[in-house]
Amino acid sequence: MRLYAVTVYAFLYLPIAIIALFSFSAGRSASSMDGFTTAWYARALSNPFVMESLWTSLRVALLSAILATVSGTMAALALTGMKGRLRALFDGLVMIAVMIPGVVIGIAALIALMTVFGAVNPWIELILGRQLSMGLGSLIGLHGMFTMSLVVLIVRGRMETFDRAQIEASNDLGADPFGTFRQVTLPQIAPAILAGFLLAFTFSFDDFIMAFFVAGSETTLPIYIFSSIRRGVTPEINAIGTMVMVASLILLMIAQILLRPDKSRAEG
Amino acid sequence: MTDKTKPITRQKFIEELRRYEKGSISRRHFLEATGLGTAMMVMGGAMPGLMPGRAHAQDLGDRVVLATWPNYHDAANFDRFKDEAGVLTQVNVFGSNEEMLAKLQAGGSGWDVFVPTNYAISTYVEADLIEPLDLSKLSNYDPAAFDQRFADAGTINGTVYAVPKNWGTTGIAFNSNKTGGIVDSWKTFFDGARDQFDGRVMVHDYQLTTIGNALVYFGHSFNSVDPAELADAEKLLIDVKPHLFAISSDYQPSMRNGDAWLTMCWTGDGKQMNSDMPEIGFALGREGGEIWSDYYAIPKSAPHREAAYALVNYLLAPEVNAREALAHGYPVADARTNALLPEALLKDPILYPAAELLSPLEFGAAVTLTDPNRAELMARFKSA
Amino acid sequence: MAMTQSRARALLLAPAGLWYVTLLVFPLAVVLIFSFGERNPIGGYAPGFTLEQYANLPSRFAAFRNTLTLAPLGTLAALIIAYPLAYYLALRVSPRWKTTLLILVIVPFWTSILIRSYAWIYLLGGNGIPALLEALGIDSIRLINTPFAVLVGIVYGYLPLMVFPIYVALDKLDKSLLDAASDLGTPPWRSFVQITLPLSMPGVLTGSMLVFILLTGEFLIPAILGGGKVFFVGNALVDLFLQSRNWAFGSAVAVALIVIMLIVVALYARAIRRFGASRDDVGIM
Repeated sequence: MRLYAVTVYAFLYLPIAIIALFSFSAGRSASSMDGFTTAWYARALSNPFVMESLWTSLRVALLSAILATVSGTMAALALTGMKGRLRALFDGLVMIAVMIPGVVIGIAALIALMTVFGAVNPWIELILGRQLSMGLGSLIGLHGMFTMSLVVLIVRGRMETFDRAQIEASNDLGADPFGTFRQVTLPQIAPAILAGFLLAFTFSFDDFIMAFFVAGSETTLPIYIFSSIRRGVTPEINAIGTMVMVASLILLMIAQILLRPDKSRAEG
Repeated sequence: MTDKTKPITRQKFIEELRRYEKGSISRRHFLEATGLGTAMMVMGGAMPGLMPGRAHAQDLGDRVVLATWPNYHDAANFDRFKDEAGVLTQVNVFGSNEEMLAKLQAGGSGWDVFVPTNYAISTYVEADLIEPLDLSKLSNYDPAAFDQRFADAGTINGTVYAVPKNWGTTGIAFNSNKTGGIVDSWKTFFDGARDQFDGRVMVHDYQLTTIGNALVYFGHSFNSVDPAELADAEKLLIDVKPHLFAISSDYQPSMRNGDAWLTMCWTGDGKQMNSDMPEIGFALGREGGEIWSDYYAIPKSAPHREAAYALVNYLLAPEVNAREALAHGYPVADARTNALLPEALLKDPILYPAAELLSPLEFGAAVTLTDPNRAELMARFKSA
Repeated sequence: MAMTQSRARALLLAPAGLWYVTLLVFPLAVVLIFSFGERNPIGGYAPGFTLEQYANLPSRFAAFRNTLTLAPLGTLAALIIAYPLAYYLALRVSPRWKTTLLILVIVPFWTSILIRSYAWIYLLGGNGIPALLEALGIDSIRLINTPFAVLVGIVYGYLPLMVFPIYVALDKLDKSLLDAASDLGTPPWRSFVQITLPLSMPGVLTGSMLVFILLTGEFLIPAILGGGKVFFVGNALVDLFLQSRNWAFGSAVAVALIVIMLIVVALYARAIRRFGASRDDVGIM
């Protein structure tokens, strides 16, 4: 059993080890090891396109995750204990958003937005002197739409398992709804909100396919990597991958430490 | 030009080039030694319009987005453009004219300059996607210096929409250690794929060249849209498909690491691989195939129009263009640029095949790119 | 009171609702409308009403076939590999190591799937595993650009998504049940079949559904490890929009894909209900 686990872990980490190893290769090709150098790291860090796409990815991930967490949590609060047609409709929308492949969502958003832009742009240009186009807005919007659904699922799951008697007790004791939310509900669902936020951030940061369609002229890190692989991969790409990996590892450790006091709830 | 910047002797130049090719000196050293680097700076000083100073740079903005093909530029030129004009060039790489057209048609591409091939330009004009060029902003473009065969597709009904970048051919790259010799016919290419080269052959992920060369195999025109002839090509392609190594326009990595032995290949890729690995050769199909020319064009939707003109103008400067050619190995139709290039490159059979090899080649036609049946055939081939 | 509460609810739901309408409902409606249209001669979409696009769906038969064989196969392979690991983590590892080992399962998932898949190009390419096999005397095995390479890629890419729900289900399992069974002399395999396996079913179903959904829409892994030869519906879709520029047919393919997924998910949802999974499990991704 233990041997089996070790084998699976080896399977999981072998490709990652390969990436890290080749990032130190002194040769130009990323598929053989000739000599040792850390120059690729310096090169990646001083490459303006790498840094710019990294910055774009971080901004998009942060903004879309914040918007998704706020509106997803609001929706989850509203949906808890709700019945009727509106609830069924929302449940359906959440499921559809999670279920439909990213490639379909990306394409659908692209052709829908382009059709709308094509129709309204002559007017907008007349009035504002500029045109609507795909870019950060559509990217943040689409990532947020998808990750908001994840937040709804996670936060609602948490809401439905905690003791509602506490909310009623708080209300009976005369607390206003906002006070109840702040002092009773929020502390209970905070780990779920944080988990939702982290998930939303990671998803957006790592997404290629939706961004591929709706990013317009913006380049996120995955888009940069995809187009670099096309230009012939240098160990520079491996260095970027290794750095991103180490950074997310550190982030994960920080999150783990933050969540530790309440470990049982943090597993969402 | 002053004596200080006088180009070095031809012999010395070629010596330096050899050393550079062998990798014993850096590109920077090479450019310094040969004077190509300083020539550029002098040009900048002599022609203020070419190299805007700091104050002028403000008008250009700080960035420009270039959509181009893989392995098609000297990255150091963009560094210089940044130093001299204050504009950072973002390079996006594409695999086919169809993909570029799709991206531009879908809008919001954000490109300022892109590189359409001869047959694509009329479609862009028809679809109202590119603008007529303001030649007053392209002082380095001298129509008289260009070989008209590789420049005239940029002019539609007397209006210049695109200026020439490079030209080239679509041939066959082969690893002679594995193929046991030269492969110079589409017959050997497609028959070998099902026989002695099973699992080692790559075709482009591009209908124009993949279908075109399959048509040439049968003796049909590269540009055919005749349903019966296309049916022949489809049958061949679907028959060959299980034996292919991959359907991809990014063939350099697989050729270099030995996984693939044979691929459809554009001139410059052939030259680049041949320079690094002499066992990889490049030949044209004896039956025919494609000859093409690429152009710089500016989309109507370009967000940084002034910077776009500055970049195109910069890349057309003979000194810059010469550095580009040394890096990518595609022939240039500009006599001024060729005057700066080493004899060895101008006599290279990969770049300049013999006339009798060129004569059966065809330029792609506009309909070859846009024909819906060809597009659908390619899609069926890929999903077969 | 009831009035203000429903107003508060409406306010809380408004941002999410607006978001869904503009970027989910409206785009999907456009796709549906376009799927009955025609291809513009120079590419794109031309209005019309025709069933031609749906009639042309069989021309993408191979893409649907590949997706509908490799997605279940990949899901199954991931399940087979993930279950013993989840079992080990939930029931055999001391609590002290549990968290660390679990994190080690997720870490690869937190790094770009693009780069991870790219590493497999090298591992499966001629200088990777095949070269190793050759040294062992097994000649001329080709792995890269085959369905097998794509399968390895998808199992690798989605394994953590399978391990987690199964782990959660097994972790909740009341271990005294197993102890009682063993005290009563039940052989381990019987208590596994009769107690552990049924109780872990919700996790198995959740994990399988997640992985299956993601695989059905997969584009990247076949594109990177299939060399253009192993084609999923996702790849056919991308080609239709980014190569042949046939928006109408592309929309029809997208609608067909969505319909297939709806059917599969409906079947899964029924199965999950039968095994009594709580919504909590579905929320874990």
